[in-house]
Amino acid sequence: MSSDVRFTDFKSDKQPTWCPGCGDFGTMNGMMKALAETGNDPDNTFVVAGIGCSGKIGTYMHSYALHGVHGRALPVGTGVKMARPDIEVMVAGGDGDGYSIGAGHFVHAVRRNVDMSYVVMDNRIYGLTKGQASPTSRSDFETSTTPEGPKQPPVNPLALALASGASFIAQSFASDALRHQEIVQEAIEHDGFGFVNVFSPCVTFNDVDTYDYFRENLVDLQEEDHDPNDYEAAKEVITSSDKEYQGVMYKDENSVPYHEQHGVTEDMSEIPDGAPEDAMDLVREFY
Amino acid sequence: MAEDLNWAIGGEAGDGIDSTGKIFAQALSRAGRHVFTSKDFASRIRGGYTAYKIRTSVDRVQSVVDRLDILVALTQRTIDENLDELHEGSAVIYDGERSWEADIPDEMTAVDVPLKSLAEEAGGAIMRNIVALGAACKITGFDVEYLDEALEKRFGGKGSKIVENNKEAARLGQEYVEENYDLEHLGYNVDVTDNDYVLLNGNEAIGMGAIAAGCRFYAGYPITPATSIMEYLTGRIEDYGGHVVQAEDELSAINMALGAARSGARSMTATSGAGIDLMTETFGLVATSETPLVITDVQRSGPSTGMPTKQEQGDLNMALYGGHGEVPRFVLTPTSIDECFWKTIEAFNLAEKYQTPVFLVSDLAMSVTEQTFEPETFDMDAVEIDRGKLVDEDEVDEWLDAQGHFRAHAVTEDGVSPRAIPGTTDAAHMSTGLEHDELGRRTEEEDERVQQVDKRYRKVETAQNEENWDYREFGDEDAENLIISWGSNEGALVEALGYLEDDGIDVRVISVPYIFPRPDLSDDIEAAEEVIVVECNATGQFADLIEHDVLTRVKRINKYTGVRFKADELAEQITEQLSEEVPA
Ligand SMILES: Cc1ncc(C[n+]2csc(CCOP(=O)(O)OP(=O)(O)O)c2C)c(N)n1
Ligand code: SF4
Repeated sequence: MSSDVRFTDFKSDKQPTWCPGCGDFGTMNGMMKALAETGNDPDNTFVVAGIGCSGKIGTYMHSYALHGVHGRALPVGTGVKMARPDIEVMVAGGDGDGYSIGAGHFVHAVRRNVDMSYVVMDNRIYGLTKGQASPTSRSDFETSTTPEGPKQPPVNPLALALASGASFIAQSFASDALRHQEIVQEAIEHDGFGFVNVFSPCVTFNDVDTYDYFRENLVDLQEEDHDPNDYEAAKEVITSSDKEYQGVMYKDENSVPYHEQHGVTEDMSEIPDGAPEDAMDLVREFY
Repeated sequence: MAEDLNWAIGGEAGDGIDSTGKIFAQALSRAGRHVFTSKDFASRIRGGYTAYKIRTSVDRVQSVVDRLDILVALTQRTIDENLDELHEGSAVIYDGERSWEADIPDEMTAVDVPLKSLAEEAGGAIMRNIVALGAACKITGFDVEYLDEALEKRFGGKGSKIVENNKEAARLGQEYVEENYDLEHLGYNVDVTDNDYVLLNGNEAIGMGAIAAGCRFYAGYPITPATSIMEYLTGRIEDYGGHVVQAEDELSAINMALGAARSGARSMTATSGAGIDLMTETFGLVATSETPLVITDVQRSGPSTGMPTKQEQGDLNMALYGGHGEVPRFVLTPTSIDECFWKTIEAFNLAEKYQTPVFLVSDLAMSVTEQTFEPETFDMDAVEIDRGKLVDEDEVDEWLDAQGHFRAHAVTEDGVSPRAIPGTTDAAHMSTGLEHDELGRRTEEEDERVQQVDKRYRKVETAQNEENWDYREFGDEDAENLIISWGSNEGALVEALGYLEDDGIDVRVISVPYIFPRPDLSDDIEAAEEVIVVECNATGQFADLIEHDVLTRVKRINKYTGVRFKADELAEQITEQLSEEVPA
């Protein structure tokens, strides 16, 4: 396939079982459009999904894909990219998947700077398990397992990424379709780990972080003359607690992706019929 | 005097025991002598007793024995730890000038060599172990020229000055003994031959096998005793277009390996005990997504962190049953260092042919033991690669459904579906750990569930029929005493045969390199009068399996001290067991 790829080519014929109005619809549409827009097609794309409502995205998209176990999507994406630098890799999941059970992997995928995009559908709640607190839930947010609120501050995923040495940090809002798509597109095009935290409201279990809330509170960095190459400025917007931003917060123009730093260029799927030609050298070493 | 020579160096961890031992082992191997090494080490970096032992002979050696002829003791503890292996003809080399007075039993020959002073004379105290090697050469009449060669190999990269200094250190050690002792009476005889051997350990053999088999991606997290596989591959796999990632933990390692495998790379991860537990979560995903993956478990003593530097074969049940739900897997258990190489290659082929995870289960004893082999044992021309039903662009059509979707989990007669890797046109598909239909999409349909479960297990049936799940056999084929074992006990058992024969006991040994599927031993067991299963664990996990297979009680020899079986010890225990009643 080539340039005539349309975003609907990335759509599977499975009907999403997301609740009507779930932010994940918009998030997914933007991802598919961004993939098509950046010249990819389903045959050269690998989507790795986590577990959660958000993780179901792999089922509704059409490409090479793996829907893995809870929290481990990033390492899978890393393996795919290392073995196949020629393949476009996108990893997707939820805030629970990425910042709770998968937090350790998040930090390390960020610092490895593997050339893939990572889209987190942040609804500040556990959707699939029916409404428990997530790492991004507000400290007074009442849920079935935290009747008086989690009483602990939420994780700031952007700050976590920045502290881990991220080369690309962005945030978008599922219902701002065009901006969301543009931002994901930029993440895909970034040479390295393109991290996008997406506000993707859960209409069933979260009545605080709603579409209305984000519409009212969201500030677009484009309108603020923010320079994403300015680390200090990035730090400023990422750590400010009084505003919700969308846009590309930080981008390291000198980013060199992991596989390039490690000299990995070959398609590892191709191997000889027998042992490699000079394999006897491996034996000789033991003389 | 025994024909083989048993030599050891012992001291504190950090004393360079390991590299000194390795240098001597290499010198002996270069002299065309067979070598078998073993290590005692504690789980700490500095301090703590550690020893490197070498058994060498002109004939093949494949076990340790309870005997030490020459001991280089850097500490009193070294002598104490090995006292029961020393005998009247033993020589103990020590440094009397250092601040310890060696307490060496009278009947042994104490060889006091000023190791440190001589080393300093040669260029630095650090070479005191090399001085000791020179002394050992003199005592045994072993030509120091071979030691020189080993020193060149070891230090060549560090410049000729270092090499020369080390050679000088060895020479000074040799001369000192020559001038101060008359040790002819010890009568050691270290013949050399024209043979060329290679000297390697089990983990190196696994790493070499992996590269030979086309493994290109390895992800792992350091854990004793599996780490040296990662260390071997790092710095070598790149030469073949591959890469090693040191992951943040085992959960990550196996998932990375899974990702690479799904993209078409032959891929592996290796760990031990606790790491396998973490990987178990993803193990089921590997199996249900039908991803070819080799998972190596170099067993150590458990449970929990157990005894990290000690031998055990306690993970068999984990390999067979680990993970929630029911998933097929293959479990391969190499029985010797050369088999570590060949079984690794087989593991990759099985994984791809059947699109199934393969457990390659080795153990600590095998992983740290070096042994000599004819280089042809690792004949790279004999390596065959079978990638199974990997379909290319032209074959995709055959596997599309009416709507043009690739049936990545097609229900087939042999249970094996077509496999398409990313980049293959029109074969894009998804895989999941959820139960799925032929297209890889989630399903809870009763029929589809049953079909997929059956399909996955049918692969095992197919493999059972198509592959050779053989065993290795030693001793007297018609003997009425049958010993069965798995993993690294084979060498000790084979050598035990010699001792038993001397006592007029005929034994047949079956050594099993496949635990699942495994060879059908019912006829062999029925034909035998006595059956003993030998393994390094407390409960007899393999014995349980055998009993389950043949509905017969077997005798057991279990060792779980953390130390591998020795040939002479095994012979004794077998003799004892044979005279006992079968357990009720
Ligand atoms: C090891 C493991 N623990 C727990 C679960 C149960 N589980 C499924 S989804 C989920 C949370 C999902 O939350 P999030 O990532 O925020 O996704 P959302 O459903 O909100 O999109 C949990 C805990 C699981 N599948 N696996
Ligand atoms: S529960 Fe929430 S996150 Fe899940 S599908 Fe419904 S709206 Fe979306």
